[in-house]
Amino acid sequence: MVGWEFPPHHTGGLGVHCYELCRELTRLGHKVTFLTPFHGPFTPVEGVTFRWPGSDPAVDARLPGTYDFGPGPGPSALAAIDLYNDWIGALPEVAEHDLLHVHDWFGTVGAVRAAHRTRLPLVMTVHSTEYDRSLGHPWAHILAREQTGLDHADRVIAVSRHLGQQLRERYGVPEGKLRVVYNAVRPSPRLARLEHSRSIVLYVGRLAAMKGVDTFLRAAQRVSEHAPGTLFIVAGEGPEYPRLLTLAAHLGISDRVLFLGHVSEEERDLLLASASVFVLPSVVEPFGIAALEAMAAGVPAVVSKTSGVAEIADSVFAVDFWDTEEFASRITELLRYPELRSAMGARAQWTALKEGWAERALQTVQVYGELTGGKGARTR
Amino acid sequence: MQIVLYLHLHQPWRLARFRYLDLGSGRSYFDEPRNLELFRGIAERSYRPALGRLLSALEAHPEFRCSLSITGTFVEQADRAAPDVLELVRALVRTGRVALVAETYYHSLAFLLPPPELAEEVALHRQMLWDRFGARPKVLRMTELAYSDELARFAESQRFHGMLAEGWEGILHGHPPTHVYCAASAPTVQLLLRHYPLSDDVGFRFSSREWSEYPLTSEKYAGWIAATPGEVVNLFMDFETFGEHHKADTGILEFLSALPEAVAVHPRLGWATVEEAIHLPPRESVSAPVTVSWADQNRDLGAWLGNDLQRSAFEAAKKVGVLVEKAGDPELLTSWRRLLTSDHFYYMYVSGHGADAGVHQYFSSYGSPYDAYANYMNALTDLRQRAVARLR
Repeated sequence: MVGWEFPPHHTGGLGVHCYELCRELTRLGHKVTFLTPFHGPFTPVEGVTFRWPGSDPAVDARLPGTYDFGPGPGPSALAAIDLYNDWIGALPEVAEHDLLHVHDWFGTVGAVRAAHRTRLPLVMTVHSTEYDRSLGHPWAHILAREQTGLDHADRVIAVSRHLGQQLRERYGVPEGKLRVVYNAVRPSPRLARLEHSRSIVLYVGRLAAMKGVDTFLRAAQRVSEHAPGTLFIVAGEGPEYPRLLTLAAHLGISDRVLFLGHVSEEERDLLLASASVFVLPSVVEPFGIAALEAMAAGVPAVVSKTSGVAEIADSVFAVDFWDTEEFASRITELLRYPELRSAMGARAQWTALKEGWAERALQTVQVYGELTGGKGARTR
Repeated sequence: MQIVLYLHLHQPWRLARFRYLDLGSGRSYFDEPRNLELFRGIAERSYRPALGRLLSALEAHPEFRCSLSITGTFVEQADRAAPDVLELVRALVRTGRVALVAETYYHSLAFLLPPPELAEEVALHRQMLWDRFGARPKVLRMTELAYSDELARFAESQRFHGMLAEGWEGILHGHPPTHVYCAASAPTVQLLLRHYPLSDDVGFRFSSREWSEYPLTSEKYAGWIAATPGEVVNLFMDFETFGEHHKADTGILEFLSALPEAVAVHPRLGWATVEEAIHLPPRESVSAPVTVSWADQNRDLGAWLGNDLQRSAFEAAKKVGVLVEKAGDPELLTSWRRLLTSDHFYYMYVSGHGADAGVHQYFSSYGSPYDAYANYMNALTDLRQRAVARLR
């Protein structure tokens, strides 16, 4: 498996997806070699061998330190990524496997080369596209790497139908090789609801432009006119932080918005146990695993219509990402109508947990099987 | 054996998206353009062709009879969207072989509200039937064919001679639905009980290719009716069965047209309106201590008041009703009554995966029951604020 980030050092859904998929694949009896440019340490998974190019310290020093490139990777980061791809392309032990599976664009060039050399089938999972990450101002060299992977992969897995449609329309991926496998959440030990004197509306996620957190703040201003005393919490960090802080001040809601910065999983669970409403206002959201986490904790969610999570749940409110008034209305409705909150929360929890990573791994193995002629179950 | 074919014509005033932030804006709760557009579509596919075929059948077959109910909200929309549909109904009534059935004007859950709301809504409906169709019905049906001992007493108090109800085992206790019964709580009220297997053969199964009897021909169907023992077989359905639930390309309209001919082959069979059928001598009395309806597998009120959302919305509506009545503003009263139409509560039903889930989704105009609830509560909250403002 040609990856990028892996827990505990991950910033997005990609790392979680790879980790959970590896765990379930090994449970099903497969063996996985996970390629990454970083030297870990990684959360160990039995049956998964981690390989990275940096066993040579001179190479290691030239590799990128982080997944988050901000507006786009500079020349030095790209050079490092090239190094990673060269290493994959030439890695002899790839030939000992039954199938190659690459996630997003980072390792596509190397994976395509390795697949060509070894004649192994190639699967590519797309978690997000460069168009989305850059809000329509893509970097040409990243686009080229995505296109290379999509053109040469024998099967392309998208994490939502919406994303799949984009892959068809923008990258010309033929319908016949496109599959959809959604993300999932792991049932975590559930915390009892924490009651507070103030209702809490929560956002958890990166503070990046594509996340639309400014809509959250504008909606917060409208909500507090109708549900005074509500506390709005923004948990996460990212490049948009200074701008959002200024916006909150400008909207006159600094006294009811709390910016918490990065939160641990334990802290996030506590926040979810305290929240009345979860909001995911993303301009672009290929899936939106944070909303699924909230649903699993029984917190009703208001998400943007374009998010993949809206495809699998009738128990969320889906809103156009630009429609601040509708976001504010939906949040207020959930705050004002306790029966709605509890009915929707209960249904959301059931929806989020009825299909877990085990089902997602089985769906992935099914895609493998299409290429290995039913040998999917034997893939090492 | 008398066949009672009774078809129900109803359209609710569906709500517009009324946001929480729209409270106090004076916006209308009801999406008139969208309701009328939907009405025009159904008129084209169902009302116009099927009423036309009934009229032809009445002309061609002097023995043919049928019965219709038609809600006030249906008539209001027909007036604005497709007045010719009402003209067709009048033509049917003029034949003297089509009976109209009384109910609540708003197809509402008023039967669960404290008096006198139910009596007022039934009176409104009777007035409308007289004004618009010159009809004075003797038979009453309650919204969603709800029936109970208490409702039979209500029918008696309003001088109705008969009521329609579901031929459900829970109240029949082994008796067949093919006799006329009288209400145990009000012996002057005769009961016509829906033969649900035969009704649903047409209403639900007609176009199902998985059904072992597919395709259903009028000859086969008439044969089944002729083979059914008893004095009366009550075929009660939504009118939209003909052309909307089953589209024209399923052959449903031809089936309807051909039915009188197919029935005429069987000397044992004849047709009766509901008003004629209630004069057959009753065999027994039937008691329904708990309300039964024609919906879903359980035939109770679960489709409208089965979950917390539905019950909380209904309780809230009841409370607002007290304020609206005190406020004494007819416009507010009309809005409130339209909000009591049963369809709004039906949309809040949370489907499981049972046989009924698909049926509920089919009829809903919302993305989800949560959406339906939130929107409804916003409209209701706004109405309460307006009523309170009047009272100040």
